[in-house]
Amino acid sequence: MKVLTPQGDHLELLTVNMGPSHPATHGTLRIFTALDGETVVAAMCEMGYLHRGFEKMSEQGTYTMVLPFTDRLNYCSAMMNNIGFCKAVEKMFAVTVPERCVVLRVILSELSRIIDHLVCVGANLVDLGALTNFWYFFNPRESVYKIWEKLCGARLTNTVTRIGGFYRDTYPGFEDDVRKVLVEIEGAIKDVRGLIEHNKIFLDRTRDVCVVSKEDAISWGWTGPCLRASGVDHDLRKQEPYYGYETYNFDTVIGSTGDTYDRIMVRIFEMLESASIVRQALDRFKPGPLNTADARLSLPDRNRVYHDMEALINSFKLIYEGVRPPPGECYDATEAANGELGYLIVSDGGTNPYRIKVRPPCFTQFAAFGPMIEGTMVADAFGSLGSINIIAGELDR
Amino acid sequence: MSATPSIPAAASSMPALSGMPTTVPPPAPGAPLAKDALLALVQERFPGAVRDAADAWDLTIIVSADQLRDAVLFLRDDRRLQMAMLLDIAGIDYLAYPGHRRARFAVVYLFKSLVHGHRVKLKVEVDEEAPELPSIHDLYKIADWSERETWDQIGVVFRGHPNLKRLLNHHEFIGHPLRKDYPCQKRQKLSVNDPMLDQLELRLRQLGYSVLSEGQITSMPTRGLPGAIDGAGDRGQLDPDLRQGSNAGADQRGVL
Repeated sequence: MKVLTPQGDHLELLTVNMGPSHPATHGTLRIFTALDGETVVAAMCEMGYLHRGFEKMSEQGTYTMVLPFTDRLNYCSAMMNNIGFCKAVEKMFAVTVPERCVVLRVILSELSRIIDHLVCVGANLVDLGALTNFWYFFNPRESVYKIWEKLCGARLTNTVTRIGGFYRDTYPGFEDDVRKVLVEIEGAIKDVRGLIEHNKIFLDRTRDVCVVSKEDAISWGWTGPCLRASGVDHDLRKQEPYYGYETYNFDTVIGSTGDTYDRIMVRIFEMLESASIVRQALDRFKPGPLNTADARLSLPDRNRVYHDMEALINSFKLIYEGVRPPPGECYDATEAANGELGYLIVSDGGTNPYRIKVRPPCFTQFAAFGPMIEGTMVADAFGSLGSINIIAGELDR
Repeated sequence: MSATPSIPAAASSMPALSGMPTTVPPPAPGAPLAKDALLALVQERFPGAVRDAADAWDLTIIVSADQLRDAVLFLRDDRRLQMAMLLDIAGIDYLAYPGHRRARFAVVYLFKSLVHGHRVKLKVEVDEEAPELPSIHDLYKIADWSERETWDQIGVVFRGHPNLKRLLNHHEFIGHPLRKDYPCQKRQKLSVNDPMLDQLELRLRQLGYSVLSEGQITSMPTRGLPGAIDGAGDRGQLDPDLRQGSNAGADQRGVL
C-alpha cells in the first residue's frame, strides 16, 4: 500500500494479517497491520471468533443454569467468574453468605488469581523465547488443578459455587494441600525471577516497550494488573472491599512506567500477595455452615426433604424453577485476575435472568491493543499481547 | 480514610465552579459521595434527570438523549465527580419486560471515579422508531469499542461514531441478537472474512497518512478475498436452512 506520511514522504507499507489462529495470539484474535519494514505503523484488531452468545444464552435458562456458562468466560480462573456471578445475585437478594463460605471464596479466588497469573506470565515469556519458565510455572499450576479435582471433580471449568453458598464442602486434608501448593508456587516464582530479573534479553525486550500512560489506561477503562502497572493505585479489594478483604494484610502492587516489564512484574508480585492472603484465610477457615439458611436460595437439608412437606416443596421449587431475584437492575463487580469483572443483571422477578451484561476486564485491554503497538516492532507487539492477558472466552463471551 | 475534619477546609480552599451554586461541599479525595448527594449534584445541573427506581441497589440516573453528552462531560470534568473511567456500556431491550410502558430500549453507561471512589450509572432511553444516540467516542477512548458492541448486539446507532461496525458478530450478520424479538435458535450463513482494509485505511488517515494506492492484500485466506463469495459451502449442501441463502434460516426452532 502506497501512502504519504504526515511529513510528506512517499512510503510503501506492507499490509499483514496476523491471526486469528496463530500460536502468538493465545486464542482467536485477529490483528490487521500496516508495516514499514518491521515497524507497525497502524493496526486494527478484530475479535468475535469465540463469540458464543453468552448473554443471549443466559436469558434462556434459570440463574443456576447460567453458572456453568460463567466458567467459560475466563477459563484460566473459572472459579472467580462463578464467585463474581453468585455475589451479584446474592447482592440482589441482600443475602450475606456465612463466614466459612466467605473465607473459602477468598481462598479459591486468590488461588485462581495465582494460576491465572501463572499462565499469563508463563505464556508471555514463551512469546519472548523463554520456554523454561513455562514449565517452572506449570508444575504448581498442575498441583492447584489437582486440588480443584479433589474439591469438585472438575479441573478447568469447575462450577463449584452456588448462589448462596457452595456445591459442596471441602475434603479432609484440603488445608494441608493448599499450604503445600503455596510453598510450591513461591518456589516456582523464585526460580523464574532468578531466570529473568537480570536477564539482558528479557529486559531489552520488555523495558519501555508498549508503554501505556496513566491517563491513557484510565481513558481506555483498564482495570486490574494492567492498570496498576501503569501506576494507578486501584484494586477493588482495597478501594471497595468485599468478603472482608479490608481485614487481610496485603499490598497493592503498582508499576511505574506501564511497559511490558511492569505488566509482567506486577503479576509476579501479586501472586506473592495472593499467597499471603490465602495463608491468612486458611488461619480463619473454621468449621461452620457453608450455605446460607435463606430458603429462597439454598436447598433444604436432605433429611428434612424426606420428612417435611414444606422442605419438599422448597426443594422442588428451587430445583425446577430456581431462584427469583427481586425485579430491578443491579451491577456488581469483583476484582478478578484480569481486572474488574462486573455483571449487570436485569431481573423481571422471574426465574430466568431478563438480561445479563458482563463487563469483561480484557475487553478494554484488547480495545487499546491496536493503538498501543503502533510504532513498535512486530516481535515486541506480540510480546506485549501476552502481557495484557487476553482470554478470548471472556473477551468474546 | 479518617479525613472527615479536613472536608470543610478543602471545600473553602477550592474555587467555586463558574457561577454555579454549590449545595454539596466537594469531598476530600478518597471520600465517596453518598448516592443522594451525587443525585443532587446531577439534578442541580440537569433538572430533568431522575433516579431510576429499577436500580434499588446503587445509583442509576436517567437523562434524556440530547443531554447525554453534556451529562457525560459533567460527570467526567466536574471536580466533585471526576468520573474518569467509563467501565462499560450496556444496551437493554425492554420489549418483553412485564408491565414496561416506556421506551423500548435503554443504554446504560457505567462510570467510576478513581479519585473519589464513587460510581454512577447513566441511563438513556431510546425509542424504537429512531434508535439513535450521540456518540461519546471522543470523550472516553473505550467508548469506541463499547458503542460498537452495543450497536452490534442491540442495534442502537451512535451518531458521529467514525467506525460503527459489528464487533462480536460476523460482519455479514443481519439483525441484532440481544433484541428480544431475535430468536435464540436462529441460524445465519456467514462465510466471508472481513478484509478490514477500509478500517486500516481509516486508521492510517487518523494517524495523518494519506493512502495513495491500496496495493495487494497479503496473508489473506483465499475465501476471504472480495469477490470470492460462494453460494454454498460444504454445510450449505446439507442444511436446508443454509441452502436457501445467507439469511433465510429465520424460522425459530423452539427455545431451550
